[in-house]
This record gives sequence, C-alpha cells and structure tokens, in this order.
Amino acid sequence: MATERSTDGESWYGTDEGVNQLRGRLFEWGCLGAMLFGIAMVFALLAYVALDAIRPLTADPGWHLVFFLTLVAPTTALVGYYARRDRQAGWVGATATALPAFCLLVGSGVALLLVEVVQPIEWFGTTLALLVAAGIVYAHRRFRARPAEFERTLVAVATLAFAVVGVPGAIPSLSRLLQNAPLALNHATMMLYSFAAPVAILAGVVVARRRESRRDGGVAAVLTFVGGVLAVVTAPTVGISDHLLVVVGLSVAVPTALYVEAVVRRRDNLAGLALPVVAYAGMFVGAAAVAALGFAGPEAWLDWQFLTRAHSRFAEEAGIYPALVGSIMMMLVVVVSAFPVGVAAALYLEEYAPDGGTAGRVVGLIETNIANLAGVPSVVYGLLGLALFIRYADMNTGSVVVGGLTVGLLILPIVIISSQEAVRAVPDSMRRASYGMGATKWQTVRNVVLPEALPGILTGSILAFGRAIGETAPLLMIGAAAVVFSPPSSFTEKFSAMPRQIFAWSHEPAGEFRYGVLAAGVITLLVVLLSMNAAAILVRNKYQRRS
Amino acid sequence: MSNENVTTSSPEPEPNADESLASPTPGTAAVESDAATRATNAGRTVIESRNLDVYYGDTQALDDVSIEIPEKQVTAMIGPSGCGKSTFLRCINRMNDLIDSARVEGDLLFQNKNVYDDDVDPVALRRRIGMVFQQPNPFPKSIYDNVAYGLRLQDRTENLDEQVEQALRGAALWDEVKDQLDESGLDLSGGQQQRLCIARAIAVDPEVILMDEPASALDPVATSQIEDLLDELAEDYTVVIVTHNMQQAARVSDKTAVFLTGGELVEFDDTGKIFENPEHDRVEDYITGKFG
Repeated sequence: MATERSTDGESWYGTDEGVNQLRGRLFEWGCLGAMLFGIAMVFALLAYVALDAIRPLTADPGWHLVFFLTLVAPTTALVGYYARRDRQAGWVGATATALPAFCLLVGSGVALLLVEVVQPIEWFGTTLALLVAAGIVYAHRRFRARPAEFERTLVAVATLAFAVVGVPGAIPSLSRLLQNAPLALNHATMMLYSFAAPVAILAGVVVARRRESRRDGGVAAVLTFVGGVLAVVTAPTVGISDHLLVVVGLSVAVPTALYVEAVVRRRDNLAGLALPVVAYAGMFVGAAAVAALGFAGPEAWLDWQFLTRAHSRFAEEAGIYPALVGSIMMMLVVVVSAFPVGVAAALYLEEYAPDGGTAGRVVGLIETNIANLAGVPSVVYGLLGLALFIRYADMNTGSVVVGGLTVGLLILPIVIISSQEAVRAVPDSMRRASYGMGATKWQTVRNVVLPEALPGILTGSILAFGRAIGETAPLLMIGAAAVVFSPPSSFTEKFSAMPRQIFAWSHEPAGEFRYGVLAAGVITLLVVLLSMNAAAILVRNKYQRRS
Repeated sequence: MSNENVTTSSPEPEPNADESLASPTPGTAAVESDAATRATNAGRTVIESRNLDVYYGDTQALDDVSIEIPEKQVTAMIGPSGCGKSTFLRCINRMNDLIDSARVEGDLLFQNKNVYDDDVDPVALRRRIGMVFQQPNPFPKSIYDNVAYGLRLQDRTENLDEQVEQALRGAALWDEVKDQLDESGLDLSGGQQQRLCIARAIAVDPEVILMDEPASALDPVATSQIEDLLDELAEDYTVVIVTHNMQQAARVSDKTAVFLTGGELVEFDDTGKIFENPEHDRVEDYITGKFG
C-alpha cells in the first residue's frame, strides 16, 4: 500500500495533506492565548494596585535618576551577566538576596508578637522553664536506659507541666526573685538570654556539624551572641527598642550568614554573592545620595507610618498596624487548631481507616464529604463559627480565638485533603520494608510515613494558611471589628484583621481611602501572603533535592 | 554478621534443636555446627507448610502446598509468573496480612508453631523472619539509619555502631560505604541498595531471610555479588529465595521447589536432582524451557 502511494510522484516525507498539523497548531495557539490573557490580567491588577499604593510618579525625577544609577542599572547588568554566563551563580545570588528580606519579614512577625502579646519577661520565664524541663528529660534519658512503656512520654509531659505551670504556682515570688537576681535583667538582657543565647547555640551546632569542627561551631556561637549584644548597643542609633532589634537583627543575620558560609565553604558560585552586595549597597548609597541632594521621594501610601499606625480619620495618618497584628495572632490560632487536627484526620483516613465492606463505604462517604466541605462558601463557615463559638461556647464576639477557630474550620478540609495526598504519595514499598522489618503500624507511621509525607503536608498546609489569611466573610460574620485603634493584647480580645480593615476602608467616603490607603493595605496583605507561599516553596525544594 | 550479637536483647532464647519435627533428611544431630550442616546437606526443618491454600478474593493462588524447608540452607522457589511462589514467601512472615482480600487455609509452621494461630503476633514473627524485596527499597534516610532501623524498633541500641558495622560487613557492603555512612541510602547504586536492604534485614539477626527475586532489578555484576553473598548468608541463616531465573536457582540453592501454574507445588528436592533428573515430566519441560 505504502509503495502505491509513493509512486504517485509525490514524496512521502513532504508536508502535503498526508499529515495535517493545522488543527494541532491552532489548539496550541489557543492555549498560549489563554495563558497570556490570564497572566496579563493578574499582572495588570497587581500593577494598578501597586501604582496606587506607592505613587512613584510623585517623586522628583532626580530621585528616580539617582536610584536608577545606584540600584536598578547595576543590578540589571549583574542579572544580565548571570543569565548569559552563569545561571547557577544567578540562583545563588537570588537566594542570597531574597533570604534576608524574607527573614526580615519573619523576624518582624516574631517581634510584633513580643510587643503586643508576650511580654519579654513572660518569654524569658517560659524559655527558662523549657530549659529546665529539657534538662530533666535529658537526665532521665541518661540514667534510665530501659524505661517502661510510656515512661519517657509521661516524664516529658509531667516535667513540662511542672516547669511551666507548677513551679511559678508553687513559688509565687519567683518572678520577683528572678528580677532581683544578679543577672542585670531588663528587656534587652532578657532577650539576650532567652533569644540570642538559644539561637547562638543552634547556629554553633549547625556550623560544628557542617564543618566537623567544634572550634568553628564555638566561634559561630560566640559571634552570634556578640551580634546580639551589638544589636543592644546600637539600638539607640537605629531608633528601635533594643530587645526588638535583638530579635529582628538575629533573625536576619543568622540564616543569611549560615547560607553565605555554606556558599563560601563549597567555593562554587561565589560570583552569586555579588548580587546581594550590589543590590543592598545600591539601596543604601541611593538613599544617602537622595538625602544629600535633597530629592523628594514618592508620596507613597505604603510607608513606615502606614505600617506602624492605627486607622485614622485622615487618610494621610491612617495605618494598618492593629489589623496586621490581629492577622498574625489569628494565624497563630489557625495553625495551632487546624494543622494537628487536619494531619491526624488525614493519617487516620489513609493509614488506619478500613478499605472494604460497609465500614469502607462509610469511609468513602466521609472522604467525599470532606472534599465537598472544601467547597462550602466561607460565609457559611462564618455562620457556623457564630453559632458554635459565640452562641454555644459563649466566647467573646469578634475575638481573636473565635476568628482563628472559625477560619481554622474553614481551611480544615483543605489541610486534610492535601495531607491525605501527601500521605498517599509515600510509596507502598516503604511501608512494606518497614513492616518486613518487624515494625508495628505505629512505628511505621511515625518513622517512615510521616517523615516522608511531611514536606508535602507542609506545602499543602502553608498554601491553605495563605487562603486563611485573606478570608473576609467569616470575620464579618463573627463580628470582627471594622476598625480598632490598638492591637489586641490577648487572644480573647476583639480584633480586626487585614482583609476586614481593607473592606472597611472600601466604604470610606473619601477617595483617598478608597484608592490610596486601600491599595497600600492590599499590597501589605499580598506581601505577607506571598512570603508564606515562598516559605512553602522553600520547604518543598529543600526536601525534593534530598530524595 | 554473626550470632553473638543477639545474646543480650533477643526477646526469646534461641530455639532448641530438640523441638524440631522429624527431619526430612537424616543427620539432624549435626545442626550445631554450621559449616558441617551445610556440607552434609542436612538440617532440621525450620519452616513447614501443610496443605496450605491461599485465596485472593475468589482466585486461588496456592493449592495444597506442603513443604519442609531445612535450616541454614538456601531453598529456591522457581516457576512461571503467577504460579504463587511469591505468595508462598509472603505467607511465611504473614506479609499477606497487609492485603485485605488474602485468605489463608492450612498450616504454616515456624519453629513448630503455626504462624496463623491467634496468639502469634505478626510483628514478633517478622522480627525473626527478615525479608528482602524485588525492588531495592531503602528508606530515604542515611545508610547508618537504614541499617539501624530494625535495631531501634526493638530498642536494641547498645553498641549500635558495632552492630551496624557487623551487618554491613555481613552484606559485603562495609568497605564500599564505611566513609559515607551519613549519606542517604538512596544515593547508592541499585546493587548497593539491595545489599543495604540485606544488611538492614540481617542487622536484627533473624533466623530466616526471605528474598523475593532480589536480583531481578539488577545488572549482571550486581547480581553475581548478591549470589556470592547468598552463599555466605546460608552459613548463619536459613535463606528462602524466589527467583524466575533458573540458572540462578541452580547456582545458589541447595534445595529447589518448583511451582507450576495454579499455585501447585509440583516437586521439591535437592537442587541437583531437580535440574538433572526431575521426577515429573512437567518439571522437566519447564526446566528445559519447553513451556513457561
């Protein structure tokens, strides 16, 4: 047959009617168009909001010129070099540049909690108690090599309870006793003892392991602690409280230093380290030059005072600070409530629930309904939170706990489903290997399934938390405040969260609120959200490379 | 890996030779010395099945299998695909329990005790009968942690370093990995991974090692390393190996069981006899490649 066709005088390898690829091409272009359209729309929206929030056109042309010369041009040139010559170094540079910024966000979050929720003395006391408890548990481990069933768990729980609750209860004067102790206790030293010291030890251990040298580890630990002291000393010139600067400074410096150390030690892609130097130096030089030459920067809505002030009647003075703190506190409740419950439920459904028979069908029904619950509108969850937590459990209307628990319920199905997928992705050969070694089900789940599934569980859950932080409707239903002027000082107080605050601004009659302040709030929310997603990606990449 | 390690923490004392059933071959008294046992091709029965039937749902996978597997020898199970040889292997350490639809009838005795009795805990059973799978399946942990896994499960963590080294030496892997014990077990080559799995199995010093086509996913060099290893393992352990490679069975095993379609054990005898002068024509046809 083939021979007959080729004798027509036409070549068999040609692109004549024999092979028609037109339909496939059209389909490909259609897909491309859809993708471009979607992305373009999202970017247009983001650009529009960012333009409103920052208002770059209100700056002096000289300001733009200075920053172009000091920051944009050198960075772009360097990125261009990486793209053409040295991709690997480019990735190293991008990580080294992004890491401090990311750590700054996280460290600021911790510092916020220190200012608003936990007092330094409480933090210090808790750290001390945990330290004592850990010491007792360690000693028990050393001296009881063959403990009875559950003995270790019991000891751990008992010591923890005793150290955190029992001792302060038994010796009420302990806090005064501590304050009078010759430790020169004040906010700064407390943070040095209870934050800088543990971080220093941690950094020391990491470095000692990496370099296989105790001396290097010791040097790293001492350097870290000295860094903390330095933060206390320099705090007055920076203009932040000293104990907060310890937290923020070390949160930024330690991970960055560890990363840089790793790059330098491996001696590959050292060129990448030029990027953060150029970018951050450019920023500082630019700022100094602008100040010296007297160029005015843009009158951005999103500025330092926006982040640190509460709402005001005047748009220029309005800020998002109480809502930002409220959001972070609410997220703490969400994580603490939804994550353990969701992971446990997923583990039961995947590892323990029966497969066949009537019980199996019931399990199947439950799983289907969990998937349905993930699609239930958030307003309905708000109603559920209102009924469950406020009407029946009689909690405070619009308090942080109620908000957190309600939003936690909302994302619980998502956490369950993504954790289930992660657990299911653990290859069966791993489980078989473990059972074949004579492991019990619990040992298999704890030693093999959970560690293998954890990156997937974390990735999925963090994305779910990202959804939680943006939820508005449930907060409206449970009565979160539209406007609060001071952040909640405890978890049972009324609060406002960022999306709730943004929603309130959208009702303000003044246009400045609806275009300027609102846009700044949206950008703040997005930055927090994107950094959470970045954390998810980091976690996933870190573990993918290992397996 | 030698037997000295078990002493302190093994849950039960070593089984007594007197308990054994009537031995299929004469010379049971010689059990105590390993080398002699193997040389005289004699041993007491460790695993015995009597009229064993296994069903997966409605499908019968094993049909009336009776066999007596001698101690400290290599027993090979051969036969065409789907003949039930792997099913039989999984019956021995009750890995079939993990398959919901599997149903076992008949007796399977290990150390004279029916492993399907109600008072037998499959977890305890699997601690005495190790298993190596077809695909190398090390855990995504370090080499050290892989080998130490079973020991930690049983809280036998005294002299852990020493026990890990012993196991790796026993699996002929120590010299290749002694400088990279902290690296992931998944970074090893296929053959090394399989030997790591063997080290993991022998670390807890079981009495029997079951191997389900341990070399079928490996290249010829790695395969021959595993085969050499089998020979050494048989000095300390009873080895039951499933293979569909007849040359391999002929090379490594002392006894050979031939399963044919339908889950039927057709013939079980000394390997030499099976390959040179089988009783059944069907076995001869299979071995000479006329079918299967």
